[in-house]
Amino acid sequence: MSAYSPVVEEGLERMLAMVRGDFDLSWMDSNPTGWGHRVQPGASGLGLRDVDTGAYGVVPEYGSSHGSMAPRGCFVPADTPSLGMYDLNEKATVWSDNAAMLYDEAVTRQWNSVTDVPWHKLQKLPDDIEKAVCQMCTNFTEVEFVAGDMPAKWLCHINHDFHEVKLFLATQIMDEARHMDVFRKRALANGGGLLMASPGNEALLAAILQAPNYTTASALMHIFGEGFILTLFRAGEFLAPTEVEKTIFRLCMQDEARHVAYGVKHLQYFVARHPEMMEEIHHILGLGEEAIFRLTLEPQTLEPRAILAGKGVENIQLGMTRLAFLYNKQITEYLQRLKIAGIDRLPRMKIPAELPALGPEV
Amino acid sequence: MSSAVCFPSVDWFERLANAMRKEVERFQELGTTDCTMVVKVDLGALGTRIYEIGFEGFEITEIRELSSLEQAKASHFVVEGSLEAWREMIENIRRNGAPDLEHTLNYLTLPDVPLRVSGPDQLEIDAFYRYNETIQRFFNGAAGIATRYERVAI
Ligand SMILES: [Fe+2]
Ligand SMILES: [Fe+2]
Repeated sequence: MSAYSPVVEEGLERMLAMVRGDFDLSWMDSNPTGWGHRVQPGASGLGLRDVDTGAYGVVPEYGSSHGSMAPRGCFVPADTPSLGMYDLNEKATVWSDNAAMLYDEAVTRQWNSVTDVPWHKLQKLPDDIEKAVCQMCTNFTEVEFVAGDMPAKWLCHINHDFHEVKLFLATQIMDEARHMDVFRKRALANGGGLLMASPGNEALLAAILQAPNYTTASALMHIFGEGFILTLFRAGEFLAPTEVEKTIFRLCMQDEARHVAYGVKHLQYFVARHPEMMEEIHHILGLGEEAIFRLTLEPQTLEPRAILAGKGVENIQLGMTRLAFLYNKQITEYLQRLKIAGIDRLPRMKIPAELPALGPEV
Repeated sequence: MSSAVCFPSVDWFERLANAMRKEVERFQELGTTDCTMVVKVDLGALGTRIYEIGFEGFEITEIRELSSLEQAKASHFVVEGSLEAWREMIENIRRNGAPDLEHTLNYLTLPDVPLRVSGPDQLEIDAFYRYNETIQRFFNGAAGIATRYERVAI
């Protein structure tokens, strides 16, 4: 009796046959229409868009039904088994016309928190300023990786024919890993440490992770959540007490704007094809709006920025009035991004479009 | 005779593009940039000067003066402010080799004063955030450009 299973025995026999010169070679002619492909690298190198041309660039309205990881454009043998995992098979449910471009851009615009931040420029800061920076970094460390967990949750549902989207989302996961890591590093690097978590933020994070489908999760995260965070990164750069935070926020800001760009163009693509889903999208945006407004009740969220804007805890009140414009900017940009996606949110918005004047601008 | 270049002018932006070319490796480290930036300088009673600067890959592909914003490429964002605001930023970069904490492009534009970013739609404006480090480094090239300024009529 053989020591090996039938499949191993068969494999061994096949190898012996090959040694005797019995080759198949049918794979060489398996994909005649896909053979002879020519590419033209762009000025800055060979991008995904440069190779996915002709038939290879045709993205089907419905991803292949074989359900395997076979790459789009190859010959798929009839006995290729399905993985039984892909249920996001309709292009509109994940697609964004800028996904390949954003992927190419993301891979060239990667940076790292080990060598790209001028850590040597860290300097001893007054206690209240260091605490404000550390609290802000605690908040960001807490929320950043939801934008890694969310794509990770959906990636294995996305049909393999939509590789542009999968690849872009993979870059987003790496971007968010870097964000979580760089804010943690900053909190721990200058004699301070992590301060208080934000229970209020968890409600928004849960709404993103528990959204009933990919597009509502994306609308809530890519457009609403990351759009708001993008403004907070800009504010972080504005308020930064040293070149270290300044650099961190500028680098994070760039990544975040890519994520928002995917979300806006995905929602635009989706809504044009599924207007019947409009109510569901409005509903989840409403959840997000109320969740984020609840954060104003949390001192650990707003007060650190007010201290930095006032340049010290003794001027925290002044700092608060100086920052009022940020909320208005967040809302304006949020509504404008939704407008591009084809959604008129203003009449349905659950929070004020503008904050009342908080005091004299100083 | 001074060899200083006048701001704003096509020549001045060409100098920035040259500075960028000289350190192309540093720009390659930052990654590809694909956007059109319009710089608008308010000269008071003398009107405004408008310049379009195209970024593609790791290069500046075009610099031209526009007679109005309508001539700009459909896809663009605008950074605008008074000559005085631009002058202060440029002189700060020239003094320090790079902007101090209160003269980065993001710092100057976030509250919409003294500089302001606008565009035909929000995604175009977002490109200013998306390529911010590259655009900042492009302007940091001003550190090596002896600059004189257009006079502002009051
Ligand atoms: Fe992030
Ligand atoms: Fe993000």
